[in-house]
Amino acid sequence: MLIEQAAYGNRWRQVSPAAKGAFALAGLIAAFAAPAPLVAAGIAVLLAVTACLGAGVAPGLYLRVAAPAAGFLALSALTLFVSIDTDFSWRWAPEAWPRVAELGARSLAALCALLGLVLTTPLPDLLGLLRRLRCPDVLLDLMVLCYRMLFVFSAALHDTATAQQARLGYASARLTRRSLGLLAANLTVQVWQRAHALHLAAQARNGDGALRFLSPQFAHARRDTLLAVLAGGLLIAAAQLSAGLGA
Amino acid sequence: MHIMEGFLPVEHALGWTVASAPFVVLGIRSVRRQLRERPEQRMLLGVAAAFSFVLSALKLPSVTGSCSHPTGVGLGALLFGPLAMVPVGLVVLLFQALLLAHGGLTTLGANLFSMAIVGPFVAYGIFRLARGARLSLAVAVFAAAFMGDLATYLTTSVQLAWAFPDPAGGFAASLLKFGSIFAFTQLPLAVSEGLLTVLVVNALTRFNAEELRHLPLFAGRRATA
Repeated sequence: MLIEQAAYGNRWRQVSPAAKGAFALAGLIAAFAAPAPLVAAGIAVLLAVTACLGAGVAPGLYLRVAAPAAGFLALSALTLFVSIDTDFSWRWAPEAWPRVAELGARSLAALCALLGLVLTTPLPDLLGLLRRLRCPDVLLDLMVLCYRMLFVFSAALHDTATAQQARLGYASARLTRRSLGLLAANLTVQVWQRAHALHLAAQARNGDGALRFLSPQFAHARRDTLLAVLAGGLLIAAAQLSAGLGA
Repeated sequence: MHIMEGFLPVEHALGWTVASAPFVVLGIRSVRRQLRERPEQRMLLGVAAAFSFVLSALKLPSVTGSCSHPTGVGLGALLFGPLAMVPVGLVVLLFQALLLAHGGLTTLGANLFSMAIVGPFVAYGIFRLARGARLSLAVAVFAAAFMGDLATYLTTSVQLAWAFPDPAGGFAASLLKFGSIFAFTQLPLAVSEGLLTVLVVNALTRFNAEELRHLPLFAGRRATA
């Protein structure tokens, strides 16, 4: 997963996740508070530049992660340019441009705020943050197990699909459906087998309750969080103060 | 396909989050109760969440030439019940936002409502109706997965139409617009997902009949497809 690559290999890896979370939250608020599309687009650029220059995320990787979501946004924006009249006839609606511009810029800015967080923070650190925020144990257990088993299932999926492909299992649409059905069915059976094995392993170690893990420690957590809150506050204030810009 | 980050206006994003919250609370309570009775389900639900996430990476071909991925909504609702699917769906949607930038944090409530609340409850209800009408397991499973998938995307269409009513035709015209765009890919996809779910349940009844007997909808039934 591209996001995982960047999350483990950036300059902000040791920055407290609370700080990065606070800055991302401020980015989301600024995206929604932006009074004009140009301001929201400026926030998007600023957040992307911060991630690439500040955290050292490779710009190519950033673009590759953002591309699918940006493509979906373009498609959605195109939909808003189509209008249906009262007699149910379709027509292009160029008058929708202000709404599309506002929506597109806001979504881009919000996407950049999200990417700033996920491209600099590995998921286990975010789970540690959720634990500190008193997220229910049941949800945390699901998340920990889900994260750890993701890679096991991805490998199983990849190996099985490769073996099926080698036997021409995806040579036609009919075969593809059959192979996918067999693949999903096989993996579903594995769900039970792996869950049973995990349960036995936990029982063998007297584990019968919530899963406990040590939370990672960050050296300058307070300083980082304070800086992030200040930077985030400035971002929100700048977004609101630029009311006349680009309106 | 989920609604992307920042796409919904703030009042809609907050509104759908508030609408989803009681289901999340009830879902967590339901899972806690299940775990007290059957502690081994803790691992099963976590592993099932990982499976749902990986399943969403599978591309299903559709007659329109496009590809989409299965939601796993119907299968999950049949195996674990619709309430347990709420926390599982929450984890899967959160991971999709955090690991794939698919969906988003501000739209998590709206996506949760369509994919982890409406879809599973519709699938579960259809399955019970179909079994009550003495339809075979395969037909009931197909109908549940098909309708669960369609209900998910219909809800997404309603959410988008409500947020972006058509300037001329209003909500109804906008719903028609989003609904027809989704129907183009989702109708064939729903059929594919229905067939896929039948294959999966067939495999489970063949290889995991003992485990299935402990699950709500298969309890006390001789699992024959």
